Amino acid sequence: MKISEVTKILDAEVLFGENLLDQEITEFAASDLLSDILTFTKEGYFLITGLTSPQVVRTAELTGAIAILFVRGKYPPQGALGLAKSHLIPILRTEKLMFESCKKIVEGLNKVKKDENQLF
Amino acid sequence: MKTSYSKEKVSLVNELIYEIKIKETMTKKFIFFGKNATFREIQLKLKEKKISGVPILDTHKNIIGIISTDDVITAFDKNYINENIENYMTQEVITVPQNFSIISAIQKFEKYEVGRLPVTEFLHSKTIVGIITLSDILNKLLQVTQSIAGKIENEELKNTEISADFIKNTPKKFFRFEGSGDDFNCAGKVASITKKYFKGLGIDRDIVRRIAIICYEAEMNICIHSIGGIITIEVDDENNAIVCAHDKGPGIPDIDLALTPGYTTASEKVRALGFGAGMGLPNIKNFADKFEIRSSLKSGTHLKAIINLGVKNENK
Repeated sequence: MKISEVTKILDAEVLFGENLLDQEITEFAASDLLSDILTFTKEGYFLITGLTSPQVVRTAELTGAIAILFVRGKYPPQGALGLAKSHLIPILRTEKLMFESCKKIVEGLNKVKKDENQLF
Repeated sequence: MKTSYSKEKVSLVNELIYEIKIKETMTKKFIFFGKNATFREIQLKLKEKKISGVPILDTHKNIIGIISTDDVITAFDKNYINENIENYMTQEVITVPQNFSIISAIQKFEKYEVGRLPVTEFLHSKTIVGIITLSDILNKLLQVTQSIAGKIENEELKNTEISADFIKNTPKKFFRFEGSGDDFNCAGKVASITKKYFKGLGIDRDIVRRIAIICYEAEMNICIHSIGGIITIEVDDENNAIVCAHDKGPGIPDIDLALTPGYTTASEKVRALGFGAGMGLPNIKNFADKFEIRSSLKSGTHLKAIINLGVKNENK
């Protein structure tokens, strides 16, 4: 699934990185705990979080996230946006809650799988 | 939906509207007319410049009136469009002095329901030095808020240069960084520079990632738990990256307990940032190939993590 597809599924607003949305997502991670993100994620993942501090972007950068989605309608502070810009990490924002966002993404992933299966 | 985040956002703009002066925000090159102008002349100018009003000044640039689009429409309506404006213009003009904050202009926009204000040189003066409109203010606010992000972006890009310099000057280098307690905004910079450095050397991505996370956790530990410390990163002859963190105290009373996943002594403030889940030290231990930690309440904590870079000497 591409970042742009997730944006569509979640009616997300792109706060930064409109031209970086063509990347393919291989892993997803949803957490409000940066310690967890540092422990469990794999390079090239898509981060879903309700935290909006600049440290979130720092953590995402260091752990190799390809995009960050802020849930629950939160806006990141300017400091977080500045960091994201310098590391070319797209920033998305959705009004949906964390659980609903994850549910929609999973539904999207299942649909892709189903479509692929029908091809063969 | 109004929650705490929007408060934060609003408070930034709130601060700014009290901080920014009208002088920095107003349009200095503005169009004005003398009292001998006709409505027709003004109407053509308003159309040409796409503006909604002009001040009327005397020969010393003192304000004597103002003509808005409304006045022009009335002139059309009442059929005196070709006449001189002097007898029709609004003579009691609301102005605002240039050394006031933009909040003063905003308050006057609201109170008098106008969209533009002539700006005077100082309070009680009639000399006009500029015009301020709502869109001037919006532009200025946008510019200032964006420059906050821009500043951080530029600082961050400097890190790339720092790591590029390291690569150029020292193939086997020794980084030394000082961290102070409680400085959360800087925590992560060492990790960021280190990550770029090893990435630039062409080290395997997964190994670079482990080094970066170890650095970051060590930095956060210095930041959260100590009164300040130093992080060094070096590469030894066997191509191991060695990350060392030394802090000045206060030291860990029970290291085994600190290494237990989930055990934490972090403050509420730290947890609100998403850290302090008691995974820092276990995480460093997990990602390092070799891990040593010594701590005493006298000399502080010394941590050493060794990560094999996965390259042989002849490749370097």
